Amino acid sequence: MTTEWTTIRLIVFLTLSVLFAQNATAHGGVVQEDDLCVIKVSYLRAHFKVYQPRASGHEQFCEDLPVASESVFVMEYLHDALVTMPIDFRIIRDVTGKGRFARLEDVEQIEDLDGATVFYQPATTEPDVFTVVHEFGEEGDFIGIVSAMQPDTRKIYAAVFPFEVGFTGVGYWPFFIGALVLLQLQYLLMSGRLKRWFGGRGSTGVAGLCLCLLLLVPTGETYADAGGLRVTYSTPAGPPTVNRIHSWVLHVESAEGVPIENAEIIVRGGMPEHDHGLPTHPRVTEELGGGDYRLDGMRFHMRGYWEIEVTVVTEEGSTVVVIPLQL
Amino acid sequence: MRSTLVLVVALAAATAFTAWWLLRSTEPPAWNDAEIVVLQSLALESLPLLPPDPSNAVADEPLAADFGAELFFDARLSGNGGISCATCHQPVRHFTDGLPKGQAIGTSKRNTPSIIGTAYSPWLYWDGRRDSQWSQALSPLEDPNEQGTNRIHIVRIVARNPSYRSQYEALFEPLPDIADKARFPDVREAAHGPDWEAVWSSMTPDDRAVINRAFANIGKAIAAFERTLMPRASRFDHYVDAVINGDLQAQETALTDEEIRGLRLFIGEASCTQCHNGPLFTNNEFHNTGVLSAEGELPDKGRVVGVREVLENPFNCLGDFSDDPERFCPELEFVRTGTSLIGTVRTPSLRNVEHTAPYMHKGQLATLAEALAHYNRAPDAMIGHNEAKPLNLNGRQLRQLEAFLRTLSSPIGSE
Repeated sequence: MTTEWTTIRLIVFLTLSVLFAQNATAHGGVVQEDDLCVIKVSYLRAHFKVYQPRASGHEQFCEDLPVASESVFVMEYLHDALVTMPIDFRIIRDVTGKGRFARLEDVEQIEDLDGATVFYQPATTEPDVFTVVHEFGEEGDFIGIVSAMQPDTRKIYAAVFPFEVGFTGVGYWPFFIGALVLLQLQYLLMSGRLKRWFGGRGSTGVAGLCLCLLLLVPTGETYADAGGLRVTYSTPAGPPTVNRIHSWVLHVESAEGVPIENAEIIVRGGMPEHDHGLPTHPRVTEELGGGDYRLDGMRFHMRGYWEIEVTVVTEEGSTVVVIPLQL
Repeated sequence: MRSTLVLVVALAAATAFTAWWLLRSTEPPAWNDAEIVVLQSLALESLPLLPPDPSNAVADEPLAADFGAELFFDARLSGNGGISCATCHQPVRHFTDGLPKGQAIGTSKRNTPSIIGTAYSPWLYWDGRRDSQWSQALSPLEDPNEQGTNRIHIVRIVARNPSYRSQYEALFEPLPDIADKARFPDVREAAHGPDWEAVWSSMTPDDRAVINRAFANIGKAIAAFERTLMPRASRFDHYVDAVINGDLQAQETALTDEEIRGLRLFIGEASCTQCHNGPLFTNNEFHNTGVLSAEGELPDKGRVVGVREVLENPFNCLGDFSDDPERFCPELEFVRTGTSLIGTVRTPSLRNVEHTAPYMHKGQLATLAEALAHYNRAPDAMIGHNEAKPLNLNGRQLRQLEAFLRTLSSPIGSE
């Protein structure tokens, strides 16, 4: 058993090392990190993905594209500096003859860069997400070049990624996925989790059900306690309803009932089950005295379970009190 | 003999069971109290009184609505003299145009949304780049692809038309004298690009303010008309009435069993009311639902750009042209910004959705079935994060949902 597993482990390890090494060297600026395709413009990273919406709908590609078709390149910044940097995007036909092994140095040696260029988006600052669209007229080998300029130092950072349009082979993706599956299976087997999972299914189910039931219990309380503080809310214009902007009055007091005055109050909130926040940025606009604070700009945009997170900052420190709210 | 009796009894039992099973499987279960509350919240009866718009002093003036209606249908208010608001917002199509994207002087950026009930929305446009009906009404006039003219030309058209002039002056102040073409250049072109910038910046700040003031007033008259466009009761509304009154006969007349099952999915398993809630079936909020980019276009960034635009717009609630001395603008003041808005657009109303195809912000989906299939899959968004989760409904359930959506139709026209 042990020898068997060691052998499989070794095979998996070797396969993975080869694949990762290929990814890192051959793909220049675009690498696979966990399940995320990442472009590295020097040290600046962005989530990189390409779509061919006409040819394959919502399917994401990391680099190689199956057909010559309308292609949308997307970079979602993982580094804030990219938000303020002018970024340009160029696609050239691969005239380096190096295919997957083309690097920045090879691109820099191209004499007629414009002649080889099939798409060029001049530098623009995109504060949210960087996107370009290009319709490939023919299949072949291409090289993408992304450069970003640091606005203060005017230093330019670049990423180069060779890719194929209309690639016929399936590449090594199936191997890669297969290897991952093997690795995970091995982990589950070796750690005994698989067994525990099958064995412990009954109790997990019960625990899950209890959790669901807990979440479904409506909360009618208008206060919450935490860290020796109690925060109570009232809504002067009637109970909170969906889709209407309104104000709250927050009352903050200690566990002994002493009002907390002159505190800084920060309010956030959202629906934990839906993974989104409030539709507005509410703020405390006035301290009313006696531990009361006016909170303006509250709005809920759907029914369900909400949590309002009130951070009370005083000289003693800061305390977060979460008010549950069932609408 | 005995065996015949057994056979008859067995047959009778089988028939009874079959009848029970069939009846059981076609009769939708009754609504519980919590569900009735949700049904009631969606019915037109629950629509609150239209809140006042303090930024528009003539919002509820019938004379302003009449003047606004004339302006709304007047194609002279355009660069080529052939495009009015109603070119795209066609009353017979519930103020939409049946096209993926609006077609006027050119092609609009997005799908033409209905105007009905938008007086209730804190935000206008798919990306919410305007915060009132009156400031919204100004934009198409100056959009090179829509009405394609500019504010000076619009004010001049109103000033030169005796009927318009008298209606304007009865509602607002005397129209400024803009006959001097040296001070107020005579251009018809769209307020767009360097040529327009040159014309506009050649004017004195006072003259620009005079034009802006009159232009804003014209928008306020159009908004007074648009404020009167309210939805009419649909079969769904009659059904909710019947449920509340316990009138079984009326319930059966209003909706079929399949439609009722669709309604149950709509407020339950399909989670549609997370966004399509309230009597207008919209929360007027911004959501990313992972719709594919339109052909030849970049994915739409939506609200993340729209929110910047509304904050900078000189005709917004906090701007110089609001009639509210208090500048009470909580929506603008407490507006959400940030990356969670990437790729989000405003939830449209579902009233008359059957008649407002194609769907989505670029009209990407041609039919209700396609729209439902999209939500059933909830694919990853091209940019940002799709907030919807896959529904995993079967084909029959999707057809029931579609049948329910068709019960939200009402006669053309407003009440």
